[in-house]
Amino acid sequence: MKTPAKVIYSFVFVLLVTVLCSAFQKEKPAAVKFSFPYKKAGLDERQAAAHLLSRFTYGAKPEDIDAVVKIGLEKWFVQQLDGKIEDEALNKSLSQYDDINLSNAEVEDKYPRPGQALRMAVKEGVINKDSVNKGDGKEYRQQIKAFMDSKGYKPQQELFRQFFNQKILRATYTNNQLNELLTDFWFNHFNVSLTKNQSAPFTPAYERDVIRPNVTGKFQTLLMATAKSPAMLMYLDNFSSSGQPVANNDDMQMQMGEKKTLKKRPGFRATAIANSPALKKLQEKKKQGGLNENYAREVMELHTLGVDGGYTQSDVTQAARVLTGWTIAPMGENGYGFAAKNLLEKTDKNTLEKRGFVHDGDFLFMPTRHDNGERIVLGKHFPANGGYEEGVELLTMLAHHPSTAKFISKKLATRFVNDNPASSLVDKMAKTFTKTDGDIKQMMITMATAPEFWSKESLREKTKSPFELAISAVRSLNAEITQPYQLYNWINKMGQKMYYYQAPTGFPDKGQYWINTGSLLNRMNFGLALATQRIPGIKINLASLNNNHEPESADAALLIYCKLIMPERDVLETVKRLKPMLNDPNLVSKVESAAAKTGPPQTMDTMENEEMVMKTNKKGIEKPVKKNSGKNATAVTLSGGNNTMLAQVVGVIIGSPEFQRK
Amino acid sequence: MTSRRGFIKAGGLALFGIGLGGIPGFLAEAVAGTKAPGLFKRKKIMVCIFQRGAMDGLMAVTPFTDKYLKAARPTLFMDAAKGSKTTPLIDLDGRFGLHPSMAAFESMFREKRMAIVHGIGSPNNTRSHFDAQDYMESGTPFRKGTDSGWLNRAVGLLGHDAATPFQGVSLTSSLPRSFYGENPAVAISNLQDFNIQLRGNVKGANMAAKSFEDLYDTTSSGLLKETGKESFDAMKMLQKVDTKNYKPSNNAIYPNTALGNSLKQIAQLIKMDVGMEVAFAESGGWDTHFNQGADTGIFARNVNDLSNSIMAFWADMGTYQDDVTVMTMTEFGRTVKQNGTGGTDHGRASCNFILGNSVNGGLVHGLVNPLAIENLEDGRDLAVTTDFRSVFSEVADKHLNINNDKVLFPDWEGNKIGVMR
Repeated sequence: MKTPAKVIYSFVFVLLVTVLCSAFQKEKPAAVKFSFPYKKAGLDERQAAAHLLSRFTYGAKPEDIDAVVKIGLEKWFVQQLDGKIEDEALNKSLSQYDDINLSNAEVEDKYPRPGQALRMAVKEGVINKDSVNKGDGKEYRQQIKAFMDSKGYKPQQELFRQFFNQKILRATYTNNQLNELLTDFWFNHFNVSLTKNQSAPFTPAYERDVIRPNVTGKFQTLLMATAKSPAMLMYLDNFSSSGQPVANNDDMQMQMGEKKTLKKRPGFRATAIANSPALKKLQEKKKQGGLNENYAREVMELHTLGVDGGYTQSDVTQAARVLTGWTIAPMGENGYGFAAKNLLEKTDKNTLEKRGFVHDGDFLFMPTRHDNGERIVLGKHFPANGGYEEGVELLTMLAHHPSTAKFISKKLATRFVNDNPASSLVDKMAKTFTKTDGDIKQMMITMATAPEFWSKESLREKTKSPFELAISAVRSLNAEITQPYQLYNWINKMGQKMYYYQAPTGFPDKGQYWINTGSLLNRMNFGLALATQRIPGIKINLASLNNNHEPESADAALLIYCKLIMPERDVLETVKRLKPMLNDPNLVSKVESAAAKTGPPQTMDTMENEEMVMKTNKKGIEKPVKKNSGKNATAVTLSGGNNTMLAQVVGVIIGSPEFQRK
Repeated sequence: MTSRRGFIKAGGLALFGIGLGGIPGFLAEAVAGTKAPGLFKRKKIMVCIFQRGAMDGLMAVTPFTDKYLKAARPTLFMDAAKGSKTTPLIDLDGRFGLHPSMAAFESMFREKRMAIVHGIGSPNNTRSHFDAQDYMESGTPFRKGTDSGWLNRAVGLLGHDAATPFQGVSLTSSLPRSFYGENPAVAISNLQDFNIQLRGNVKGANMAAKSFEDLYDTTSSGLLKETGKESFDAMKMLQKVDTKNYKPSNNAIYPNTALGNSLKQIAQLIKMDVGMEVAFAESGGWDTHFNQGADTGIFARNVNDLSNSIMAFWADMGTYQDDVTVMTMTEFGRTVKQNGTGGTDHGRASCNFILGNSVNGGLVHGLVNPLAIENLEDGRDLAVTTDFRSVFSEVADKHLNINNDKVLFPDWEGNKIGVMR
């Protein structure tokens, strides 16, 4: 754990670096040595800017296009890749979330794992164990809550709620949009899932410290950081993988609670199975070590080489042996790693280092669990007694493998260019990967300067994920978000339960996965709910979106809002299809009288977690939204209230096929 | 990819000329509970129920003559003998007893329409819920990275084009791991949500729906256009389904629980003949570390819900029973010995239930050795003697005629155990 003094020092240091960097930046603006070939593709500058914005931000308004054109397309792209634009307003609004900056250890201490609080309460005699799960449970839940309050513990869901909320605010309001998109991309590439209880609490720090700072750096840095992160070590089980007998091995596994009861009852093992052949067999088995291949397999299949990357089952097993002993350092008072904690506390640092231990933040290499044999992975020879370093060597080799260059290039191109990227583009990017030691920033430049990025096959050909749809919609409408969790619920309804994708593959990044019968209707309903202000805590002002200019007719309004929401798109078809909505005066009055009867918008009743919805934040995000000047008297049918025809038209635009594309 | 357009052709909805808000009379009839000529040729349907949290198979179906079990579970063990401390177990075959709260299953077992497999589980001995569910649902117990789920692969192996978006349906809020993959599958938590909604403004909603339909019909994106069509056709089929006033056949009464409601909606979809062939529902609360109870308590409530929900569904199926097979599954079982808090901890093998007219019923399949410590896995758990894949593949094979085990369960080579006739 860092001491306060250290924290202050590092803070001062960061501040200094920031000041220096920004001073440096002012003197010497980033040199741009490339240009986008959009003219050859038949696009003008504004259209090109719109394409850039649609792929490298979470959605753009017409004034964003103006801004990009003014700065210069290439320069804007470099700025986005650098990701150093001031985010004052966002940071201010994020400060409402107390716990998004907690370290893993602090999380462990403040947010007991499911069942852990109960065990502690029973242990301390606050709750009678016989009352557990009896009766209707209401009283018992209150007891637990009181116990947790008295200890300052909070339910894990609260941590996740803050985590989701900050994600939504970041994506919506950060000026460094591309950084946020890449954070999403790399998180999904190195997916961990909240469905796994054991690794779930490490997820906020994983995204914050492991993924986000490294999204435009070297690929190897990302790979190494994920390999050593508690979230990944736990999610893909490498934390428990061992190659030789260790006395504490059993205890380490016990920490996760699954076998706790067994541990707490030494009598069971001592009396019941002592001396039994079964126990001997069991001990025998332990001596052989508990090799777990999960991480070794997925690091090759999903993180680096790809499934056709040319490795064999033997490579997987051998790599798993190389990575034995890579585990999680003890953390927190109630947290993980009780057994190793004693060892680390009792032994001084030098001795540990001499014995081959590596303790780096939350990561711990335990030589006592490492398989010391010699091995061959992908033809590379790893001599015996390689310790921690051979694991680093293995990952370095994987990070530089030609299959990795191709696999990562294809994945990036699939995300940013086209669901089925041209192999010519993938080859170019792979070349850059190899030439630049896996420099992600350079790969992005290669991609964006390639003709393939600007070709007809790429323009508007990607489908927004539910998250992208929701964020682009609130960005387009300049929404004021006071309850981000409401958006989270809608995104879930549209088929993307963020951070809960169970498999290590991450969400498939293809339109076909996102667009299906059920999810498509929910996208349309989302548009309607958002525009008609039926999503609590998401406020929009359609009049101010058009600078409070009142459109001169219904037709004009339709065209204006189509263009506001989908700048530089061909909106004629959409306008044509939506005209009947406005042109039937009888229908308009009917709808309005029906709407008038319904009163204020109601809360959705299908929220997944009502408790979460109740806990809304009082402090809203401050945004430079112009207040409605109230001069909409004559325009009342168009922009007066939530149930107006205009709101419905805007809802249909958000749910329209054109808006689903990027 | 299979043809998404198939649905439109096969469905032939356009022929009926139904507008928004309209629904063909025969569909309304179907919903009301009587059978009617459907849109699709009737197909066999496999209904899977995942019991998340790991059901204690030894309490659900107890080898009550086993003295070791009796000794290991001082307060949890129940007997089949009358006059014992608790309500007696339902003696199935002189060796196994069904939990008394699952009395609803007894008649099915006696009529040989229900089979039980005991000692079923995964060859991977992980005792993590997450990992075990992941492996069971992907169908690859030693591979995490399998991108598809076994039910999705099952849909792909049905051997005919996806004529309907409802070929694979999960009654859950998001798609379960079992249905991950490239074949079409829908997650629906409530049939009523399958609609264009504008709260309190029906006219507005209808108008918006009309606009959406127009827009999607004319978009240049093939994917959006076809899925749009599918969605509106599906919506028209479903929008009049009135879950609240649905009248199950044969006076079946579904428990008002998550599982009961899911199965009720599956029944509705089946009766509408929307072309569903694989359905999935979940049941939770099986992780009974604390005070799981015996003839009463949390476990009893759970199995009561499970059996009553399934039997309500079965009664409701009426003349559809020949088409339907129901199978339960759970990620692992629980320790033989009860723990210090009146519960059981994560173990290895459990049991499952298979219900249907072509099931080799009235038998407890599988192998359960006496629960002496030397017979236990790792000295503590009921050993896995039947690989879950051998049972799942047999049910899929015999009921849905899926016999490509290499695709359904890659890496698996094993034998069927005869749970189906």
